[in-house]
Amino acid sequence: MSAAPGLYLSSTGSYPRIGDSPGLQILRRTIAGLDRGDRSTADLLDIQNDVTRYVIAEQVKAGLDVVTDGLIRWYDPISHLAGKLDNVQIKGLVRFFDTNTYFRQPVFTGTPLKRGHLAAGDYSFARNALGHLPTPSGKAGKLSIKPVLTGPYTLAKFSLGEQTGNGSSGQFAALEERAQAYSEILASEIETLAQLGAELIQVDEPAAIKYPNDWLIFEAALAPIIKARDNFTKSGRKLELALYVYFHDCAPFYEKLVALPVDIVGLDFTYYPKLVDMIVAKGSPKTLGLGLVDGRNTRLEDPAHVARQIERILPKIKGERAFLGTSSGLEYLPRDRAFAKLELLSKVRDALNGGRP
Amino acid sequence: MSREKLEKLGVKLPLFPTTSVGSFPKPDYLVKARSEFSKGKIPETNLHDLERRATAFWIEQQEKLGLDVLVDGEMYRGDMVAYFAERLPGFATSGLVRSYGNRYYHKPVITGEVAWSGPVTVDWWKYAQGLTKKPVKGMLTGAYTIMDWSFNEFYPDRRAAALALAKVVRQEVEALIAAGCKIIQIDEPALSVRPEELSIAIEAMEFTTKGLEAYFITHACYGEFEHIYPGMLDLAVDNFDLEMSNSDLDLLELFRRHPFTKDISFGVVDVHSHTKDSASAVRERVEQALTILPKERVWVDPDCGLKTRTVEEAVEKLRSCVTAAKSFRNA
Repeated sequence: MSAAPGLYLSSTGSYPRIGDSPGLQILRRTIAGLDRGDRSTADLLDIQNDVTRYVIAEQVKAGLDVVTDGLIRWYDPISHLAGKLDNVQIKGLVRFFDTNTYFRQPVFTGTPLKRGHLAAGDYSFARNALGHLPTPSGKAGKLSIKPVLTGPYTLAKFSLGEQTGNGSSGQFAALEERAQAYSEILASEIETLAQLGAELIQVDEPAAIKYPNDWLIFEAALAPIIKARDNFTKSGRKLELALYVYFHDCAPFYEKLVALPVDIVGLDFTYYPKLVDMIVAKGSPKTLGLGLVDGRNTRLEDPAHVARQIERILPKIKGERAFLGTSSGLEYLPRDRAFAKLELLSKVRDALNGGRP
Repeated sequence: MSREKLEKLGVKLPLFPTTSVGSFPKPDYLVKARSEFSKGKIPETNLHDLERRATAFWIEQQEKLGLDVLVDGEMYRGDMVAYFAERLPGFATSGLVRSYGNRYYHKPVITGEVAWSGPVTVDWWKYAQGLTKKPVKGMLTGAYTIMDWSFNEFYPDRRAAALALAKVVRQEVEALIAAGCKIIQIDEPALSVRPEELSIAIEAMEFTTKGLEAYFITHACYGEFEHIYPGMLDLAVDNFDLEMSNSDLDLLELFRRHPFTKDISFGVVDVHSHTKDSASAVRERVEQALTILPKERVWVDPDCGLKTRTVEEAVEKLRSCVTAAKSFRNA
């Protein structure tokens, strides 16, 4: 019997695409080959599939309950989704939060239109890949795969409206318009993902806590995707939306975040050392994603210390249900250290169980 | 006035001094040599000879173009943080981490007490300065940016790491000054990424430069300065080198609301474009600057380092800066 039966170990999204050994750099070499013209897009797809299988297997090996496809196919969190839309052009590089990485900025050229799936194909592949892995002992029926989407507000915040070239405002110059356009598209994708069997979908909105003056726009942009969930679940089928925020201090927005009509709120604990105390004091009316393990620094936390934090927080969460994960996706770490961070999550659970795996 | 400070240091500059941000493109022979060296195919002495040859090439180019304050062009560097981390005790190198797209690098890791074990840039500065009578800037990366762009496995928090690094950078500054360097640029491109940590960056820079006899410049770029302005003016430097063109001079609006109180190296050409900035566009940018800033405070340079351009593009962009500056001097 687990000491914390409502605690699940979960990926927070991305995973490093390559490692240091030559064998782990095949995706990098294939993309370089594609750029040179001596590899094809079919070659790239094959390698992306192989790396995705490998990354899912690593997460399972580390002991996670909820895994992702590692976002291996994503160029970046913004252009990967926006670039699949008609009437959106992908332009130059812009710094992505404080990560010292960059995203390619989308620019609207008209009303964005979804011409195919954004994430559903990747989800189907990943679900199938997970299904083909040998089930670890004690995990039968307990492993699941979680699709990840960048949220409508963050997509809109980092996109530009139509550029007219004559100084006047083109279509979608207003942030609200862009956010609503993205949200309608994402709502449709969420419906598709749910139809394919996704019971938990992660929606990332890191910009929401960095630009608090836009909170009403952010909230309004959630409405269509909440409606899509409600339409799906009213027939008794299961679908949960997990809203994840990171890359900024979430403490000032904590009460507003847990009041949002989502099912789970995922938090980054690395920006405010007293966030654990704050949640213990205030409690949570809904399931939390606990980003207690730093997804952006190589230093490995003490599992016993993290376990003690969970022992304090978990009783204060409604239903004592939480998802323990890293503070953000792991693509900012070297591959070996990313895997060590996932293993650390399992060690935290072992510590909670008094050292029993 | 910082111009008076320069004169006290014995540096006489014309109005609208021209300079560049730091890096220049490496000539093809050097790119090839760096690749061969990394594979162990050539000895370090061969690489070093070619780095010196390329440095001399760029000093000559800058003199021909008529720039006023020169740089060595960073022919011996790859990444601006890793270069220092690889030469400082207390650092190790991580496995590969993605920068963007298909680009990866070995990110530094602070694994112990950081320390300064001797000059890192001084020999290069001396070599470059020995090739010209014009002042050559000392070029360093600031403590806050080194901290932000490294993993930290040793210090308890980011402030502690930044302040420890400030001690190290200060020693390098002292070594440059002892060698005769009068103008030192301490780059802080991470300055704006965590506005709530501006006080840490200010504290670290204060520790780095306080009481030292040099004219200090800091370079920052591609950030959300609206979140740190005017607080960033408290950084203990004389001159902010800022990317202005790429952001359509948006910062000028901030300067209208709260006066800019330092000298400025005003980025008048976009380094991300392959095309030459038109003379009229460059002039217009300087004219816009002069609607707010006194001419005695304005330096003219590109938005950022030019290392991603070709040699020819970089030369043309520098030429645009010099042409614009001269036209205003003569007006």
